[in-house]
Amino acid sequence: MELFANLAHGFAVAFSPINLLMCLIGALVGTLVGVLPGIGTIATVAMLLPITFGLPPVGALIMLAGIYYGAQYGGSTTSILVNIPGEATSVVTALDGHQMAKQGRAGPALAIAAIGSFFAGCVATVLIAVLGAPLTKLALAFGPAEYFSLMVLGLIFAVVLAKGSVLKAIAMIVFGLLLSMVGSDIETGASRMAFNIPELADGLGFATVAMGVFGFAEIIRNLDHGAEMDRNLVQQKITGLMPTKKDLADSTPAILRGTVLGSILGILPGGGAVIASFAAYTLEKKLARNPSRFGRGAIEGVAAPESANNAAAQTSFIPLLTLGIPPNAVMALMVGAMTIHGIVPGPQVMQKQPDLVWGMIASMWIGNLMLIIINLPLVGIWVRLLRVPYRLMFPSIVVFCAIGIYSVNNAPVDVVLAGAFGLVGYWLIKHDFEPAPLLLGMVLGPLMEENLRRALLISRGDWSVFLSRPLSAVLLAIAAGLLVLAVLPTLRAKRDEVFVESEG
Amino acid sequence: MSDTPSEAPVKSILPEWVRGPQDFVGGLAMMAVALFALWASSDLQGMHGFSFGAGTAPRMFAVLLLLLGGAVALMGILKDGPHIAAYSWRGPLFVSAAIVFFAVAIRPLGLVVSAFAAFLIAALGSHETRWLEAIIVGACLTLGCALLFPYVLGLPMPMFPRFLIQ
Repeated sequence: MELFANLAHGFAVAFSPINLLMCLIGALVGTLVGVLPGIGTIATVAMLLPITFGLPPVGALIMLAGIYYGAQYGGSTTSILVNIPGEATSVVTALDGHQMAKQGRAGPALAIAAIGSFFAGCVATVLIAVLGAPLTKLALAFGPAEYFSLMVLGLIFAVVLAKGSVLKAIAMIVFGLLLSMVGSDIETGASRMAFNIPELADGLGFATVAMGVFGFAEIIRNLDHGAEMDRNLVQQKITGLMPTKKDLADSTPAILRGTVLGSILGILPGGGAVIASFAAYTLEKKLARNPSRFGRGAIEGVAAPESANNAAAQTSFIPLLTLGIPPNAVMALMVGAMTIHGIVPGPQVMQKQPDLVWGMIASMWIGNLMLIIINLPLVGIWVRLLRVPYRLMFPSIVVFCAIGIYSVNNAPVDVVLAGAFGLVGYWLIKHDFEPAPLLLGMVLGPLMEENLRRALLISRGDWSVFLSRPLSAVLLAIAAGLLVLAVLPTLRAKRDEVFVESEG
Repeated sequence: MSDTPSEAPVKSILPEWVRGPQDFVGGLAMMAVALFALWASSDLQGMHGFSFGAGTAPRMFAVLLLLLGGAVALMGILKDGPHIAAYSWRGPLFVSAAIVFFAVAIRPLGLVVSAFAAFLIAALGSHETRWLEAIIVGACLTLGCALLFPYVLGLPMPMFPRFLIQ
């Protein structure tokens, strides 16, 4: 079996000391940012992008992946103990998790969250390995027209599943596409919108924009609310991690359902882990014989969303690794990390860089194993970290980011640009524009332009290729259908409802 | 995630027919970005035959953004929407100042001085900062970064002020 040979190769790569270390660092940092409210996953991955510059590419990506799924574990700890979601993906976990903690059952809640996450992580790892090769083969059959249509579909998906106005999200994507045009034209080499500034000749650095719009903007926004966040920690000592037999029996089906739902939603572009946890919670509530238990410490309400968000965090790697298309903002950052190391994402990555792809897949399983150890016995340490006040955290993040950006090109201009994009990001938040689609647009911009150009060159300028080639036509039709559905009032109301439920 | 401004809406300078100032201004700003991009890419070559010139794609996306921005602004006229959220000045000002200071100082003054000073400038961004605590943490952070970046990660950068080493 090719699959087992590949996986064995992956484990050989992932078990090398340096990669094990990277995996551990990723898992630790991920747990850390997951636990601390006010630092998001996107911001963290953006902050650490420059640092990976000095690392070997496989190790760098293993570490960044670890941060993403590690944050899903850590987020649940804060949700359960403090009733503040450490991550957006753990918002729903707080509903029942914190109630359990108040009833003195914080231990079982934490344990079920970790066990569910671990199980989901294992399933998702296998899923990536199984789906990887066939999807890659499919992708290799794609021509430029199909690729362009696929990217359009991906971006539309992202818009439909995202929160807020569809129109504004599309505007953000196009803004991102425009930003990606700055710099040299790939074909003619002409300098575009660079105003003869030498630092702009290579285009706006992806890390620079991401760090500005997510890192700095988030800090400035957090300062608006006052640095001190209300943290009512559950103070009593956590005793007895082990869930009872009844807990296990109650949560097993929930974990299974959460894993399946999360895996599917993770592959779809746009939602990723956040929407998966919402959907899983809603599903459990609908299926439950006695829905009134939810919100009062039902263990299914912890098990399902935590399994779902971890499954989704991992399966969202599938489109990235097989098609080279990032389904959400964190994956867009992974593309940025690959580009920093000179790897062009796409279906060819799986063949040309087997070390990278399979090593990363194998490392996810190892990382999940590490995380369950990091999170369960050591939970006390993470809780203590919650006492670090934001007034000390935010200047540290600012300085750390500034040094990080400077180190990429040794260019002070990059630091100033990131600061400027921080203010742009702050403005965007104030006007209710989501910055995540901007990042997706910026990453996909060059790819879209290249494929559009090629498709039109092959068809001798005939725009109907996108509709006359069947596969491309189907992809565009789905995109159009989704867009129509998204603007229809009934679905909009439902969609908003999903997001409202959690924000109380 | 919720970002609803808690303050009472400031008296709007916008005319009364603007029912959603947040969208209206947001849309106008997007249109401005698009117009700027159109102007900036106006000197680039357009289509020749059926192959794209360097300027084709930027102009295409700029026109698209212009339309979308227009649509967002139109929504701001047609539909009731939130007011423009209140901006605070302290956070943005000092965080930006710290970033700019770091950018200017890193070459001549080196990592140690610029990182520490940038930390203290950024700390001004919150009125809850306690100075003794901030100085201690800033010093530790500077030390950590001075070890992490050049030594652990192997990214060379100036450490100390230029006039001291020479």
